[in-house]
Amino acid sequence: MTFALSDIITGILSTAVQLSPFYVFAGMGEIVSEQSGVANMGLEGIMLISLVTTFIADYLTGNPWVALLAALAVAGLMGAFFAFTAIRMRVDQIASGLAIYLFGLGISFVIFNTTYPTGLTPNYVGLPPLVANWNKIPYVGTIFLKQDVMAYVSLVFVVATAFFLSRTSLGLRVRAVGENPKAADNMGVNVGKVRFLATLFAALMFGISGFYFAGNFVPGFQTDIIAGRGFIVLAMVYFANWKPYRTLFAALSFNLVYAAQSEYVALSGTGVAAVSTLFNMLPYVFLLALIPIFGRKARPPKFLLKPYRKG
Amino acid sequence: MRTDTQGLRWLTTTAYNVLAIGLGILAGLVVVVYAGGNIEVALSSLFLNPITLAGGTQQIFVRFVLFYTMALGVGLALKAGLWNIGAQGQWLVGMVMVFVVYTFLRFLPWPVLYAAMILGAAMGGLLWITVPTILRVKFGANEIVVTILLNVVAVNFGFYMLSGPIKSAGTALGFPITVELPARFQIPNIFSGVPITYAVPATVAIGIILYLLVERTSFRIKANTVGESQETAKYAGISIPRVMVITMLAAGALAGLAGATYLMGFRYELDIGSFSTNYGLVAIICALVGRKHMLGIGFASFFFAYMTVGAESMALSANVTTYVVFAMEGIMMLGILLGSYLTERKFAA
Repeated sequence: MTFALSDIITGILSTAVQLSPFYVFAGMGEIVSEQSGVANMGLEGIMLISLVTTFIADYLTGNPWVALLAALAVAGLMGAFFAFTAIRMRVDQIASGLAIYLFGLGISFVIFNTTYPTGLTPNYVGLPPLVANWNKIPYVGTIFLKQDVMAYVSLVFVVATAFFLSRTSLGLRVRAVGENPKAADNMGVNVGKVRFLATLFAALMFGISGFYFAGNFVPGFQTDIIAGRGFIVLAMVYFANWKPYRTLFAALSFNLVYAAQSEYVALSGTGVAAVSTLFNMLPYVFLLALIPIFGRKARPPKFLLKPYRKG
Repeated sequence: MRTDTQGLRWLTTTAYNVLAIGLGILAGLVVVVYAGGNIEVALSSLFLNPITLAGGTQQIFVRFVLFYTMALGVGLALKAGLWNIGAQGQWLVGMVMVFVVYTFLRFLPWPVLYAAMILGAAMGGLLWITVPTILRVKFGANEIVVTILLNVVAVNFGFYMLSGPIKSAGTALGFPITVELPARFQIPNIFSGVPITYAVPATVAIGIILYLLVERTSFRIKANTVGESQETAKYAGISIPRVMVITMLAAGALAGLAGATYLMGFRYELDIGSFSTNYGLVAIICALVGRKHMLGIGFASFFFAYMTVGAESMALSANVTTYVVFAMEGIMMLGILLGSYLTERKFAA
């Protein structure tokens, strides 16, 4: 079987555009949260719970938008609890984030397993494509119009996050409490409240990521289905130096490498099955290779991971 | 007077820890009962099965060795303020290396090959952590991000090795698998019939040696200073890169070593099942619960070994997925963290 080169390239671009929003939503959340001084390592746990919530809510109501609301509610609850431990109780953020992850990893599968009988997979298909007749338009249809509306919403979030952090007074306060909470406090900023809001926003974004994952990644559910992809967001935000547009770029280029290698493996047939796992490494190795270039310039918010105590 | 407060403080911490663990167990019980399980069966599975079932005792000691070895490394790096989230990946590479050495250095005489397999595993883990160490020391790259990325790479590397260079002719459920290590390459039991291998005393010995090397020398202060404040460390003339390199490399070697004791002392063959475990994260919990103390980590590891074996048995007794154990661990860890905050607040001057 032979394929036209243009089809292959279109396919790769289409996959990259389809997968990136998952990282972009979570990335915007993590940027805002980390800019305020709180890193949430539990993001994948929150995503997993939102993902299962999406399946169940859609199964019960048949309406994906209700599923999104349910996923947001659950993610918000988890985020509020994490914020409480990290901000109010000043617990080590990495430790409590990992605990949230473990909890989410376990409980999501427990909920799934007790809701769906073994062997049954949820028949959630996700949101419809933005343009129903996308396949009538060559290239552009496959790459862009095929995606669901949330893919476009993710772009809106990139612009909005960038605007929020650099142009609004609340955004300025978010950065202030991450950069110098004491000075912010002296100027009358409620450090705890701003950090709480930023952390909650992040959790809601993880919820959207979980929702997006349900419709655009692996069909059905299995243990550990996100398989570390959530954690990769932390790396993307880091390489992007906590900048929204650069995070979008990091997500797109990571997924471009991912899509290219998986397309190559698929086209080569079974001959490279063993080697395919070597190609699977490429997107991660690609990110690692960026460290000597971008890692040197990375400058985290000064009070990232540091709890603030008034007085 | 001072000892009084210390005693009270210890008691408060312990009370909170017990409460946190109780909450975790309660959550597990709720799930089991909800799934239609019998509460008496669940409780006896949780507390008694680990010691009454023959396989249970073996599992406790296998996991104790696994958690303790990995958690020692995690705790060591944590003393210097470094988060080794990559213990899982280093452990996987360690296991792969056991079979790489076994497959490609077959020509070596038995005792040499035996030692080379253990050493190879430790070297594998050490090599794997060299990447985040260099990137951290040379480029200031965040070690959390790098070790997370390398965990994924380790899984793919392991898959590759397993489906090619170190695979056997056989398969397990259609997936590649290595050969089973012959008896003379296994770590034997100390007493025949009792499923406790020589790996157990060896691991305890490593813990004690590290305790003497780290907790009883100035290295503890050096590492803690680097962990607490790099500026103070600089001012005190402590070589920060040296402390970082020593603790990180030791952490990688220990996690790799855990791969050798796990394979040679229990599993004997490598298949993809080991790739989807989460022992590296449990090791992080053990290091935190053991308060980064080389002996404290040992007790924490033993507790979590017992608890996870019991909780898995409890889940299986009611046909509940063993993933419930992760949720229980998460709750316990959160509770212990909150408890330590409340203790600090109570006893803060």
